[in-house]
Amino acid sequence: MAGYILKRLLSAIPVLFGISVIVFVIMAMIPGDPATAILGSYATPENVEKLNRDLGLDKPMVQRYFIWLGNMVQGDFGRSFSLNRDVLDEVLDRFGATLILAGTSFVLCSILGVAAGVVSAARQYGLADKAITFAVLLGISIPSFFLGMMMILIFAVKLRWFPVSGMWPIYGARDVPALISHLTLPALALAVVATGVIARLSRSAMLEVLRQDFIRTARAKGVPERAVIWRHALRAAMVSIIPVLGVQAGFVLSGAVYIEMVFQWPGVGRMLVDAILQRDILLVQGGVVFVAACYVLFNIAVDVAQSLLDPRIKT
Amino acid sequence: MMDFLRLLARNRLAFAGLIVMGVVVALAILTPILPLAPPDVTNTANRFQPVLSEGAWLGTDHLGRDLLSRLMWGTRLSVAVGFAAALIAATLGAGIGIVAGFYGGRTDNIIMRGIDMLMAFPYILLALAIVAALGPGLMNALIAVAAVNIPFFARNIRGITVGIAHKEFVDAARLSGMKDARIILSEVLPNVIPVIVIAMSTTVGWMILETAGLSFLGLGSQPPQADLGSMLGEARSALITNPHTSVVPGAMILVIVMAINLLGDGVRDALDPRLKSGALSRPMPATKVDRKTIPYQGDNTDDSLLNIRALETQFHVKNRVYRAVGGVDLRVAPGQCLGLIGESGSGKSVTALSVMGLVASPPGVITGGAAYYKGEDLIGAPYKTLRALRGDRISYIFQDPLATLHPLYTIGDQLAEAIRVHHPVSRGEARARAVDLLKSVRIPNAESRANSYPHELSGGMRQRVGIAMALANDPDVIIADEPTTALDVTVQAQILSLLNDLRRERGLAIIFITHDFGVVAQLCDHVAVMYAGRIVEHGPTNDILRAPAHPYTARLMACVPELGQGRRELAAIPGLPPMVDQLPAGCAFAPRCDMASAACKTGDIALGTTQTGRAVRCLTPHTTAPVEVEV
Amino acid sequence: MSTALKLTDLSKVFPVGKRLFGPPKAQVRAVQPVTLSVEAGETLGIVGESGCGKSTLARMLVGLLPPSTGTIEIDGQPLDNADPALFGRKIQYVFQDPISSLNPRKTIRQIMEAPLRHLHGMGPSERAARIAEIFAAVNLRPEFLDRYPHEFSGGQAQRIGIARALAADARILILDEPVSALDVSVQAQVLNLLADLKQKFGLTYLFISHDLAVVEAVSDRVAVLYFGSVVEVGPADQVFAKPRHPYTKLLSESAPVVGRPLTAPEGRETELPDPLNPPKGCAFCARCPNAGPECRDQVPPLTQQDDGVWTACFHPL
Repeated sequence: MAGYILKRLLSAIPVLFGISVIVFVIMAMIPGDPATAILGSYATPENVEKLNRDLGLDKPMVQRYFIWLGNMVQGDFGRSFSLNRDVLDEVLDRFGATLILAGTSFVLCSILGVAAGVVSAARQYGLADKAITFAVLLGISIPSFFLGMMMILIFAVKLRWFPVSGMWPIYGARDVPALISHLTLPALALAVVATGVIARLSRSAMLEVLRQDFIRTARAKGVPERAVIWRHALRAAMVSIIPVLGVQAGFVLSGAVYIEMVFQWPGVGRMLVDAILQRDILLVQGGVVFVAACYVLFNIAVDVAQSLLDPRIKT
Repeated sequence: MMDFLRLLARNRLAFAGLIVMGVVVALAILTPILPLAPPDVTNTANRFQPVLSEGAWLGTDHLGRDLLSRLMWGTRLSVAVGFAAALIAATLGAGIGIVAGFYGGRTDNIIMRGIDMLMAFPYILLALAIVAALGPGLMNALIAVAAVNIPFFARNIRGITVGIAHKEFVDAARLSGMKDARIILSEVLPNVIPVIVIAMSTTVGWMILETAGLSFLGLGSQPPQADLGSMLGEARSALITNPHTSVVPGAMILVIVMAINLLGDGVRDALDPRLKSGALSRPMPATKVDRKTIPYQGDNTDDSLLNIRALETQFHVKNRVYRAVGGVDLRVAPGQCLGLIGESGSGKSVTALSVMGLVASPPGVITGGAAYYKGEDLIGAPYKTLRALRGDRISYIFQDPLATLHPLYTIGDQLAEAIRVHHPVSRGEARARAVDLLKSVRIPNAESRANSYPHELSGGMRQRVGIAMALANDPDVIIADEPTTALDVTVQAQILSLLNDLRRERGLAIIFITHDFGVVAQLCDHVAVMYAGRIVEHGPTNDILRAPAHPYTARLMACVPELGQGRRELAAIPGLPPMVDQLPAGCAFAPRCDMASAACKTGDIALGTTQTGRAVRCLTPHTTAPVEVEV
Repeated sequence: MSTALKLTDLSKVFPVGKRLFGPPKAQVRAVQPVTLSVEAGETLGIVGESGCGKSTLARMLVGLLPPSTGTIEIDGQPLDNADPALFGRKIQYVFQDPISSLNPRKTIRQIMEAPLRHLHGMGPSERAARIAEIFAAVNLRPEFLDRYPHEFSGGQAQRIGIARALAADARILILDEPVSALDVSVQAQVLNLLADLKQKFGLTYLFISHDLAVVEAVSDRVAVLYFGSVVEVGPADQVFAKPRHPYTKLLSESAPVVGRPLTAPEGRETELPDPLNPPKGCAFCARCPNAGPECRDQVPPLTQQDDGVWTACFHPL
């Protein structure tokens, strides 16, 4: 098993390399030069040229890429001009907030989604199935940012159950209860879409498995129906559900961008959108590469979980 | 195509989605000629008019622009951009997927590594990076959304193409002299298009959401141009004071995406052949029973363990009724081995599965008859009773041992479970008994083999595990459903002799289902021949094989070559077995029988018995022994 | 009689565990070098259990798989380029699964026209005449031409598959388990049709099957395959009745026959050797009751016995 994990980690190196190339190439397509963007359109040509030299932008592209990559490997992601702060420091701060939001949502949608899918499949065409199917349809059709806005309107403004926005109270203690009350609405809004997708796929994975011959075998052995569903069928269905969870983690992370905007959550998504509008390229580059790298590592964890579940995967 | 539309129309939800989408698209097309206020003209004096105000049915936004007009123009833009993005992503992605899947090997490997690289990003990061590079704007948002969805299509279509490229008809096309390009266009593409359409119809909604999202962030359509996402984005600052400016575009997105999703599901259901046949429904824990009368057990003089009386099982698919089993009587006594022989579709497996309620339901329904086990009727017995007997008193051995064992549990665990669901024994004890069972079916190194997973065993070893599982609780009756059909002859011989030894040692009653007369001859004392859901002949194996009485039995035996008879012309039976949803009146074999008379094609022909313990369902059987028709 | 098809040292090696660059991790020899010849007008049966390489052999013979070593000669002319279109005019293939060998989205007419158009470059009227002729020969009604494959039963679909193979006007047909997917009562119809067609068109058959009785009933000669190599070749009426190779004997004793009592022909619970780790000597050695020390070290060559049968065994029965 340790060998398998090591092998998967090693195989991530070319992927990470590829990611950095893709990001770098996309960013290099930006028309105009960053120095003008930083200094504004009234800057003198001399100043622009000097800044370009300082930023290393006068060198050929391949060389610039390797300088950038080399610096990143050493932990130097450059400096954000719009915030006048080290990119890595900013990204780390912001990513922590995103992780709390997206992580909570991911746990929520995994548990709720799989449970809803299993119940729905086990009671196919029953009342529970119909109700879940309808809720799922609603969930995957509603834009998460619109849902977030409506939740603010109802639960924060009208009912005053939760704060309107932010991660911490402006005044008062920054403790766990405060975090939970701020986290509830955005985490739920973020989880809804992914829950719908996971429930849908879990349902069809379960239906697929329940038709398999080995389920008939379990029944022929006299295994009680509850164990047939939860022990035999769900275990086999998890083989196709787990990769979906991995993909959905990416969607939760993506959806976090909108939710952070709606709830003023100080996460990496909002940072990126601001950075794009400010044309703060180093911050965009650094943020994207960092988050993508974390996602790659997360997917390795998913693969390892999959190999623990399925003995047919060669480790 | 007509079939497709009919299927779609039958799905009421999808039809509703189709109507909503039709209205939305029609309005979007008509928007430029409708008498609407100009969408981009600001009038700050008139800002935040509420819904249903004079001259602005839906009110006005923070710049006093007419919301209805902006909504219509915005919808037009959002829907167009969503569809365009889906079309671009589907075309490019499918193209990449088909090339990778068809050529395979290194081409496939390199392309898919690239696709994996793109999928390593959470999609929004890639979209943000693309928008960051190209600059904010609706066209750029469209490009970004299309680009991030290409990998999804490529991967999906590649998987399907790999399956098709290995189909035999592609090989046949090669042998017909067709070149790769032509094979892709005329053999692969027509089979992939439904999948592309399904993938597209289920993702258009998602694309609309994504482009709206980018606009919401201010990275898509730029002011003053309205699309639904940017309308929401602009309304956000006035969410608390003037919620209607947010609700109007938000609700519109919800309605459109929901309609598209309903429609997409309908398209998928109509195009997916597996769903078309209604196969994707979950089998219930026990077969549905719907019988009018319960046949009497009869005189139980031969102390039969299992006594099946007038069993009828049907499959109800849509409005067709397949009469898979049409009144079967069978009985088996302790130590007896009864062979049930017939071609595929004759109802032999369904008969066997009906006994313990294991016929998949839906679509299976037991519509008549009874199955008495030691005097107790199993058909219609409560699930609790049935479960307690399954695997304990009556157990099954199935055909394909790879598919019938759970792939993720070790064989030791699966055997131990079979014991523990019926006996309250400890884990360790169950485990020890599992190892003993493996030894009793002659699996070498049973202790270590117990830790193997099914895929690690050969076919013959897996079937031994299947047999061990059936023996786990010392049952009275074993029903073996073609247990050696999937095996090679040399392995089949091993398994058959094992079964034979076990039944003699343990006095088991066995119902052995097969299509092979050789197997029946070697293993079974009695044999029942089935054709089109009914038993046509029944009696001691040796008698029937020596002198078959029913023309079907005789001709079936004659048309199967037997080893040791050398090269010969085979006596083929003309025609095909009847479909069990349109059985002819009278004898089902009459249309293929050269002895059939007019009487054979009318009325019900009873299973007549002779004094020698044989029974035959025929008006002109091949025997001189007197036949007494049962009254 | 002339030799219609001759294979010399034909073998196939499959790589296992492919890598993006560099050589594969291991190799599996699916077919050991095989040398066989089929006379014109003959039916050569090839029999073996799953994994013995019979389908791989068949696919090489029609150019669907390039052989790793060896040559194929048809009517004395070598065919060294593995292009199915080149093979197609001389040798055709009938598939095991009749339904999946027909494209579900094409009419039978489109399927039938493909070989006529691409292999023979026929015009529309010529094609129609030829199709009518072939359909008459295989007892199919002309109105079937405008239907789709899913409308046919297995037996009818297999007739269509045979008709397509005939359309290419090849003299040699490879029949890869042509009846094993069919119902028992339909098998005989198709086998009899094949016998008629052979008479009528002077065809040569290579009949591959796992069913010993079927092979015996249709073949002139039979080759027995075990673990990728031919272990015995001889006249059909002799091979199973008087087997010379212990494996052939095991096969023929394992086949369930009415009137023969059930005995386990092998005492031991033995199976095929591991293809990734093949034995050094005779592949059947571990299961063979009369294996000697030389069997473990050397592969026995295929040699002719006194009764004319060829056997690859150091201790023929």
